[in-house]
Amino acid sequence: MPDVFKDYVKKKFSRPGPLKGVRVLEVCTLLFGPSGPSFLAEMGAEVIKIELPPVGDVTRSLNPFGWFYKEQSPMFMHINPNKYYMALDLHIDLGQQIFKELAAKADIIEFNLRPGVTRRWNIGYEQIKEVNPGIIYIEKNGFGQWGLYAEQDRPSNDGASQALSGYAWMSSFPKRPPLKQAIWICDYYGGLMGEVAILAALHHRRKTGRGQFIEMSQTENIMRVMNWVWPYQQLTGKGVEAAGNRDQCICPADTFLCADDRLAALAAPAPEEFLGLCRAMGREELASDPRFQEHSVRLQDENTLEILKIIAAWARTKTADEIEALGKEFGFSATRLHNAKDMNEDPHRRQRGFVKEIDDPLYGYYVEHEFPVMMSKTPPKIKWTVRPVGFDNEFIMAKILGRNQAQIDELYLHGVLGKWKDMQGRRPPSDWDGQAGAIIRR
Amino acid sequence: MTEHKRPKWADWADHIRALDDPAKNFEKPEALDDLTVIDLSSRSMAGPYCTSLLAELGAETIRIEPPGGDLVRSYSPNGVMHRGTGMAYLQEGRNKYHVTLNLETEAGRDMLRSLVGQADILIETFPAGKMDNWGIGYEELAKLNPRLIYASITGYGQFGPESGRNQYDYDNVAQARSGVQYATGEVLPEGKTIAEVPYATSTKAGPWIAWAVSGTFGALGILAAVYHREMTGEGQAIDISTPEAYERLNDYMLHWYADQGVINERFGNLDTCLWLYGFYPTKDGGVFLGGLRLEMWKAFVDIIGKYDEWGAEQWTTLAPFMKKDWQLKYQAMINPETEQYTSQELTMKSIEYAKRGRLAPITPVVAEIVPPWNTMHDEVWRDRGVFTPVQDPVYGSIICAQAQWKSTETPPRTKWVCRPVGYDNGYVYLKYLGYGPAKLRELTEQGII
Repeated sequence: MPDVFKDYVKKKFSRPGPLKGVRVLEVCTLLFGPSGPSFLAEMGAEVIKIELPPVGDVTRSLNPFGWFYKEQSPMFMHINPNKYYMALDLHIDLGQQIFKELAAKADIIEFNLRPGVTRRWNIGYEQIKEVNPGIIYIEKNGFGQWGLYAEQDRPSNDGASQALSGYAWMSSFPKRPPLKQAIWICDYYGGLMGEVAILAALHHRRKTGRGQFIEMSQTENIMRVMNWVWPYQQLTGKGVEAAGNRDQCICPADTFLCADDRLAALAAPAPEEFLGLCRAMGREELASDPRFQEHSVRLQDENTLEILKIIAAWARTKTADEIEALGKEFGFSATRLHNAKDMNEDPHRRQRGFVKEIDDPLYGYYVEHEFPVMMSKTPPKIKWTVRPVGFDNEFIMAKILGRNQAQIDELYLHGVLGKWKDMQGRRPPSDWDGQAGAIIRR
Repeated sequence: MTEHKRPKWADWADHIRALDDPAKNFEKPEALDDLTVIDLSSRSMAGPYCTSLLAELGAETIRIEPPGGDLVRSYSPNGVMHRGTGMAYLQEGRNKYHVTLNLETEAGRDMLRSLVGQADILIETFPAGKMDNWGIGYEELAKLNPRLIYASITGYGQFGPESGRNQYDYDNVAQARSGVQYATGEVLPEGKTIAEVPYATSTKAGPWIAWAVSGTFGALGILAAVYHREMTGEGQAIDISTPEAYERLNDYMLHWYADQGVINERFGNLDTCLWLYGFYPTKDGGVFLGGLRLEMWKAFVDIIGKYDEWGAEQWTTLAPFMKKDWQLKYQAMINPETEQYTSQELTMKSIEYAKRGRLAPITPVVAEIVPPWNTMHDEVWRDRGVFTPVQDPVYGSIICAQAQWKSTETPPRTKWVCRPVGYDNGYVYLKYLGYGPAKLRELTEQGII
């Protein structure tokens, strides 16, 4: 479709995002909770992130080895773009009332709290349903709303999900201890899948007018990804073990050490891909070897280990870039291993607008990953990053609830609304002029 | 284990369960039962995974394979097959109707055009340009059906300098390209070489996570496009590249390099950004320990009896613990402590601490690192409907990961796990094209289906 995406990046801002007109309330912290609403915000929904004043989301403190970006947590910045920032004390009655007023005008509400807390705050699903019967309401946490683990009040997070699902067990090298991922995969992936549930519910509501309650555990959700593991264990009676960089279901598919001590990954299961690889190795006869000719025979462990040994010896004589180039030439899949430098400098990522600079009124220029779904008629886009705690209170209260300044001041006086604590990650960056980024300035 | 005493909020648990227990899924409506999906995926499991998610929500999904079936049916550990199908596709054929169609023939492409005229969504995973060369690219199909939502999932996308590569999309290659594999793995011990410790290297995740992530972003983009279409009547093309989709979940590493020139390197089972957060050894295996608030970290130190000795009372901030040298120092101090307990003992200590500890109800996260075998046999997940076997008319009783979320109104559900190649030719071609047995025999003889 060469013409469909011509000038896509240049013209991105000539079309709305697909979720224009959808309003979301988020009461979430850390990663599993907030990542989902961000995906909606990137697709054009109006997402109001509600934090408890004055400290807000604990992620504001987290950082790699002490590095902050303009006193802000880089982790927090990348999890929470495109949102409006409100600080509302949901422990007190008036705060709960304001929340309900907002909920009456919202489409979607997202929480990640312990089971039963939303009800205690008088903003549980059924309490919100009274003011908005069509509401789509999701609660996300480690073990769901019922079941033994939930009832034991176990805390949870991404690492626990990697451990309890078996994901970590099957992600190390054979006979080595289980390995944790460098990214918070269960949280991020749970956030992503939660939005699939929500957009499906939105479609159902359009047809029927009916809203719904959804609950999700990131541990259960990551099990869905481990698809072949379950019937394999059931039908063979064997447990799945780790296999290093080898893909256990596809052959050849592995990562190899190259002549330049760099790594390259390749895959070539289809007949013409495998033939291409054999030709690239100068070993065309392997393609018709009875051990390797058929994919299902090649997958038998002894044959797999044999062919991978042959490829590994060959790969050690080529650089990683040479292997990638041979993949292009001979029609099998291959790449050099990419790192953070490649992410920043690769022209392909840049020209697709997948890696781009944001021009933020509070945080200036910084680099960001774009939403990874390119949509020809409704391009999703990241526009701005995070804000201090309670930064957009005035705007939200005026725009959605029609409160005037005197009424808003009254709410501050009673501690219903709040602003940031004078603390790293909560307050504006030190070079802030008191105005930039504020939608209503006073 | 001590007998479970139900919490004060048990009535909430019972109430929610009455509303969303997956055991009652089939009493409820389906969110997407008005949509028809065509799945043309080839070699990639990202496409079938994407359409599985839509089919679990009720979309009528027609999976089109070349005569003889798609390569994905052979994907399986050790080449194990169950009634002709590999373990992977035995999960991701779910709820779909399976037909064959030879797109190398003009007659086959005409049949596809007729199906597209009646469909809402099409998904394909060919290298960019292949569908256009066949004359069934987005531009051509959109002329037949302007409401069509056309999603492609590829290795290099539909535009950009690398998009012309004639290469298929594989999970392990996408993981390597995403930057995640680079940063994951054991650290090379000082003074050792990779030849001596070949496992201390960049390591990909065992599951097909890159494919799953791009397939799920695909489903999300498609549903957003459906929303837009219902508002405006306008269909569109969607372009997803699997390495990009997975890389989007790679949080701060891009920015760290841009601002500080730091390449995020492997940090083993610790976390560059977080404390307390890592895997630790136990007497019988290992556990994950987590506590991202100071009090949770203190509670853990209390559990292992080091609260006074390590001076936990004096700690006022977690900040210094996130630094690399402190992480390594405390890791070395924690290891011999956790090794004195079994994983189960430590887990129960954490649960007990929430009730009676000095910082209760605050307690650290402790989770046993289990093999997938234990996960599948864990009664709690079974109780929550995750591993309910599907009674498949062709393949028998098959355990299938499902109920990834629960819902009061339109939960996902699995009706059957797979179908043999061409199993639904009769039904689908009669329903959509009006072709009866005589016509199908003719098409079979011509090699079109």
